[in-house]
Amino acid sequence: MAFARRIAVPASTALSLAALAACGSGSPPAARRPLSNADSPPVAKAIVDDFGDTLRTPSGPPRRIVSLNPATTEMLFAMGQGNHVVGRTRWDTYPPAALPVADLGNGLRPNVEAVLSVHPDLVLLYAAADNRDAVGRLKAAGVATLSVREDRLADFHRILSLLGAALHDSAAARAVDDSVTASLARVRASTAGLAPVSVVWPVEIAPLRVIGGGSYLNDLLADAGAHNVYGAMSDPAPQVSLEDLLRRNPSVVLTTGATVRAMRSDPRWQRWLADSGHRVLVPDTALVGMPSVRMGAAAAELVGLLHPGVVH
Amino acid sequence: MRARFWIVASLGLAAAALLGVALGPVGLSPAAVWAALAGHGDTTTVTIVQAIRLPRVALAALVGAALGMSGAAMQGTLRNGLAEPYLLGVSGGAAVGAVAAIAFHWNTVVGVPLAAFAGAAGAAALVLTIARIAGGRADVRLLLMAGVVVGAFANAAIMVAYATAPPESVRGALWWMMGSVDGAEWQRVTWLAAYVVIGGGALIVWARDLDALALGDDGAAALGVDVERASRRAYLAAALLAASTVAAAGLVGFVGLVVPHMVRAAGLRQYRTLLCGAAIVGAALVISADVVARTVRPPAELPLGAVTALLGVPFFLFQLRRLAARS
Amino acid sequence: MTAAIEFRDARVRYAGAGGLAVAGVTFAAQSGNITAVTGPNGSGKSTLVKALLRRVPLAGGDIAIGGVTLGQMSLRDAARRAAVVPQREEPAFPMTVREYIALGRFPYASVWSTSDPGGDRAVTAAVERAGVGGFLERHTDELSGGEWQRVRIARALAQGGRLLVLDEPTTFLDVGHEMAVFELLAELARDGMGVLLITHQLNLVARFAQHVVLLHAGTIAAQGPPNAVMTGGILERVYDWPLVVARDPAVGAPMLIPLRAPSPVTVHRPMET
Repeated sequence: MAFARRIAVPASTALSLAALAACGSGSPPAARRPLSNADSPPVAKAIVDDFGDTLRTPSGPPRRIVSLNPATTEMLFAMGQGNHVVGRTRWDTYPPAALPVADLGNGLRPNVEAVLSVHPDLVLLYAAADNRDAVGRLKAAGVATLSVREDRLADFHRILSLLGAALHDSAAARAVDDSVTASLARVRASTAGLAPVSVVWPVEIAPLRVIGGGSYLNDLLADAGAHNVYGAMSDPAPQVSLEDLLRRNPSVVLTTGATVRAMRSDPRWQRWLADSGHRVLVPDTALVGMPSVRMGAAAAELVGLLHPGVVH
Repeated sequence: MRARFWIVASLGLAAAALLGVALGPVGLSPAAVWAALAGHGDTTTVTIVQAIRLPRVALAALVGAALGMSGAAMQGTLRNGLAEPYLLGVSGGAAVGAVAAIAFHWNTVVGVPLAAFAGAAGAAALVLTIARIAGGRADVRLLLMAGVVVGAFANAAIMVAYATAPPESVRGALWWMMGSVDGAEWQRVTWLAAYVVIGGGALIVWARDLDALALGDDGAAALGVDVERASRRAYLAAALLAASTVAAAGLVGFVGLVVPHMVRAAGLRQYRTLLCGAAIVGAALVISADVVARTVRPPAELPLGAVTALLGVPFFLFQLRRLAARS
Repeated sequence: MTAAIEFRDARVRYAGAGGLAVAGVTFAAQSGNITAVTGPNGSGKSTLVKALLRRVPLAGGDIAIGGVTLGQMSLRDAARRAAVVPQREEPAFPMTVREYIALGRFPYASVWSTSDPGGDRAVTAAVERAGVGGFLERHTDELSGGEWQRVRIARALAQGGRLLVLDEPTTFLDVGHEMAVFELLAELARDGMGVLLITHQLNLVARFAQHVVLLHAGTIAAQGPPNAVMTGGILERVYDWPLVVARDPAVGAPMLIPLRAPSPVTVHRPMET
């Protein structure tokens, strides 16, 4: 039945890839907090990352760190550890001080040889199923790895403290954490009395996927005085139907420029957008694209778009 | 028996269309749907019914009709009950076009269907050309072999595209390959209707050639049919129909394979009536599959191709039993 | 009198082949006769039928049906004048015998159907002639070899021409069914039909054919009445096998008896002498 194979091959490829993606989107296990609060304890501590691996730090703090995750790159520089970062991904372009650092390629399925060539003693990775292989190979080469994944705002706090423990500098980590928390609190205060604006945040049109309750953006939206119509769904980016979206009738659509173009050329979106005077807003992707140290600024940007005129 | 078939098939199509408009991830009362069809009611409901559900039902019907007819024609020209519309390069070529368009971020609403169609048409033409260069005639075995060659090349190209494209676009490409009438809107319905009328109309006009071809190349020649010309143009019409459905809705498998068998089992054997019957049954089937895809796990949607693929299981089991009973 | 069909210096070359499969064949088959074309495998017998069906082009010469060359008539026309029963024919999807025989009216039908209005009479006559009235409602895949062959002849008769061409019609039939087919062909010839028969069955050819054409490597080795063609010398040379031609005891027609292979080419060594 060679004829049926024509369908079966792409279908089974699709199914297996979908299964893999589903594996990858499971929630990471909770990390254990370090036992001691001291800044540079001489004794090795057990730190568990989002893959469930235990990181045994050597007696001293890591001095050559490769960060294959834009979020952790930002965190490292914010913690003052920028001079210890010896490798980054090509997507890590903030802060500007990160640019001179060696570009080692992708963060997903990284080039392990390139990573090893800069002789790191700690490698930070994004905890996705795609990276398990790289983690294994780095460990086999004797390099310590820490794999983290942030979906929600709470993850940000957790991972900062993980980093603080791994780098023997919990004070710096706490300082960054406090600063971000404070800026978010300011934003929240500025929108405290306002009626929330109903929003939807599509990330992809075909299939239609939107930001759901499982994403840090949902938390930012809440702080920025918005109500995500899909906030009740626990997935970070669930797939929904257009009908359902129209039914929930959000007044604002937040999205990227590319998706806006796709929406504008689709008669169904056009019809809905034209009929009820909905607003389409495009936040700065670089700012809101990642749950990291600039989240306060990201939330402020959202306030500026959603509630123009409010001082934040 | 035949009159009963037409009655049942037409009723089935009407019922499926009604369900397609009335059911969906958003629950709407029949009264609201009825009002919305006439244009009354709140704008969201009217938009849902008129701009989303109606075009979906129309697109699904056209896709099903085209695939049913194309499958019947392919089974006739290739004289094989396991032939289906995506054979001979159509699905591979379409996938290459669509995946390339998605990976390079060409406008998804216009770019992807266009690229998919160009890929499918190009691949089908390539298959004919290879077969002709190899043997000088549109011999069935040469066509099949050429189809395998083009399909293998297409698979390789798709894999390279997946490997080198930015990861976020891969999901969109995979989604396309699983088939969906999600992107249905009236413009798309219109051009698909044009293709279905042209391709389906051509097949119905040439239907008697298919009846003769069923006897084999020599048998058809004995009846006075120009075998090469008849099979080539039937194949081209079938490929055109298949390519246009792929451009409109991605890869919706098993419909073109199963529908001709269902219609034959109901007693329709002459191709002129077989094609019409396949169009009606195919339309009803795809509309129903889309209803299932939309309502099984709201608000998410299953890909249409996933639902129709489930058709394959009972079909092949049935064929297996028939083979076992024969031997 | 114009021949039912005439091959005039016909030449055929298959695409990609070096030599000619048919290299200048000239013979005629008259109405009212059974003309048998015979010869070893690969001598070009089936190629003649393929050329008649225009499945392969003629590289030279021509074929005339009732005096009109193929080039002067359309495929439909040719199908109305000459009904061909090809060697292999099997409907991909089962149909009833009635539907299959009705397909014989295909060359007369309009674009919109496979049958013509006056065709019913022709179909009924064909059914009666071929004696297949008993299984009209059965499906083609349910028939035995003999039944299927008669049904195919019925379809050819429904085409209404004055020439019947059959390519190896009795290959898988037992002696009873084989004789039945030959008797039917003899009857048809007696009624004025021209019958051109490609066959291996030399002994039946000797009994039933009025004219025999013996092909060898694409050319005619001998043609004429069976007595003249079926002689030991000619047949041995053409078939490259030792044989003897005797007279059969029943009707005195030439009878071919192949001999066992001579000793150096032993195919089987007895266990014990």
